[in-house]
Amino acid sequence: MNTLMRLTVANIRSLVRDRAALFWTFFFPVMFVFLFGWIFGGSGDSKVAIGFVDQDNTPISIGLQQSFSQVKLLTVHTGSLDDEKAAMQHGDISAIVVVPQGTGAAVAAKSVTSIQLYTDPSSSQVSQVVTQIADQIANGFNLQLAGGSAVVGIQPMTLQSTNISNVAYLVPSILAMALMQLGVFAAIPLVQQREKGILKRIGATPLARWKLVGSNVLMRLMVAIVDAVVILGIGLVFFNVQIVGSLLLAGGLVLLGAGAFLAIGFALASFLKTEEQATGVVQVVQMPMMFLSGIFFSFDFLPGFLQTVARFMPLTYLGDALRQVMVNGTQVAPLGVDVAVLTGWLVVCLGIAARSFRWE
Amino acid sequence: MTQNGEPVIGVAGLCKCYGDVKAVDGVSFTVGRGEVFGMLGPNGAGKTTTIEILEGLREPDSGSVTVLGMDVTKHAASIKQRIGVQLQSVSLYPRLTVTELLDLFGSFYDHHLPTKQLIDAVDLGERAKARSMNLSGGQQQRLSIALALVNDPELIFLDEPTTGLDPQARRSLWDLVKGLQAQGKSIMMTTHYMEEAAELCDRVAIMDHGHILEMGTVPELIGRRFKERAVFFDTTPKLSAAELGKLDGVTHASQEDGQTVLYSRDVAGTIGTLLAMADSLSVEPKNLGIRQATLEDVFLDLTGRALRD
Repeated sequence: MNTLMRLTVANIRSLVRDRAALFWTFFFPVMFVFLFGWIFGGSGDSKVAIGFVDQDNTPISIGLQQSFSQVKLLTVHTGSLDDEKAAMQHGDISAIVVVPQGTGAAVAAKSVTSIQLYTDPSSSQVSQVVTQIADQIANGFNLQLAGGSAVVGIQPMTLQSTNISNVAYLVPSILAMALMQLGVFAAIPLVQQREKGILKRIGATPLARWKLVGSNVLMRLMVAIVDAVVILGIGLVFFNVQIVGSLLLAGGLVLLGAGAFLAIGFALASFLKTEEQATGVVQVVQMPMMFLSGIFFSFDFLPGFLQTVARFMPLTYLGDALRQVMVNGTQVAPLGVDVAVLTGWLVVCLGIAARSFRWE
Repeated sequence: MTQNGEPVIGVAGLCKCYGDVKAVDGVSFTVGRGEVFGMLGPNGAGKTTTIEILEGLREPDSGSVTVLGMDVTKHAASIKQRIGVQLQSVSLYPRLTVTELLDLFGSFYDHHLPTKQLIDAVDLGERAKARSMNLSGGQQQRLSIALALVNDPELIFLDEPTTGLDPQARRSLWDLVKGLQAQGKSIMMTTHYMEEAAELCDRVAIMDHGHILEMGTVPELIGRRFKERAVFFDTTPKLSAAELGKLDGVTHASQEDGQTVLYSRDVAGTIGTLLAMADSLSVEPKNLGIRQATLEDVFLDLTGRALRD
């Protein structure tokens, strides 16, 4: 174990002292988060459209509707719950306020009741604003009608919107891209170490080969976790993109994704002979994935044949899985399929690497 | 443990092919404890293949190979604990420092020497914190030797340790090897420098095309082939090897790299008749000189070509 840790530390030192590698593993994805965050996230103070569903039709519900309409930030549409839900799923409105039947009667009787507020947690900025507004309006009503006792409450509801904000879409996508690059780029130092005879020299020591491979994997997985924390942290701090799903599941996916792409990196390293070759081939592998796997724009925008191509790319599934778990993004495939595809790539590429990898 | 009289290396009938090429073709030799054994030959002679089989890096096709009394094909792991290896032209993790590399390699072994002691042994104290990529060629080679010493090995393999070094760096590396020999280490090395073999090796095997052509101490190898001394001068077209071979005392003549060498049992007689012959043809042998035969001459005589291409 001591040996494994020392080797891992040696690998980390080598990475940290290599400016080019450091750029690709950390600064490149961070740069993308900021770049695209600013490009797509700059819709700051435009109005937020919400739907208002009045199932009560009493002076109380009409008063509530007027209160929402008076808020300058909001544009209020009215309609049936089904219509408004459809509009929200389509991305036309960002939230729905529902005043259920019997609200007016309950207020008159001073018994506790609540209105429902549908928001999409993945577009957290909008849902926070709308929730605050609804809270203020409800408090105002309670003061006016019930002398401060909480008669009207807010019942938060969630509804997944197809149109998650661009930044919310991008943050898990860029994390997927970073993990892809982390794994695929692992081919370069491996080929370099073989070309320079480092692998052979270590082969002349009693060190078990699994430790040499293990230290590489360990180092990359550690970096994957750091990458995830940095990218999600920037998303949260600068662009208010919150993870709505399970952190544990997200962490598991980060490791699975990193593992699958590492296996691809190892498989590539099995067939590449020189560092120059490796640098070129790695770019040929990673560039199309970066642009076709639905990382910077939704998969649906691709023409049909490119969608077919993208369906073969593991990055499509990692991006999809991370978006589903982190921001309730739309599905390219069910989460189970995403996991199965990534596991498949992991197993197959590991098999190829185990058969074909040469130490010199 | 190996008994004192038992060889540290025993090779018999070793063969190794790469496709159709017989890199090593029936090689046999032994190396005794405390001995410095040199393998001499041009590039592609099979030296590196032989040494890498001994180090457990390659599988032999046939033949028996024992290192420290153990069969290399069966006990590679235990052998690797007790040997030190310096490979031909290996650069190490370029961004790790000398100290970090020695610590790291030390951790690969059950027992290892303190890093400080190793750094002092190869005189790299001032460069201990330098990254290996920033070391000079000679310093990298010293580091490479320090790494070979990390487990305090009984037997050390050095594959062309001074190739590419300037004469001063080569000299200081020779001193290092002599120091190891004085400590009682057994050393097997390859080289294609004759002076290096003559300077360092107790015994030398001359290898070409996968075969050992001749083996013995340097004086033995020279004495076995050359009772004569060499008379040499710059080749001139008018003095042909065939004619020169007939001069007094000359056993044979060779012409290589613009130099004519006459191996003579009677140097005074040879020079006398040579000058007379040159005079009659109105030429003057330039840079005329006399020397003892060297390993270079042995190699030239064995293979018909000079060692350095």
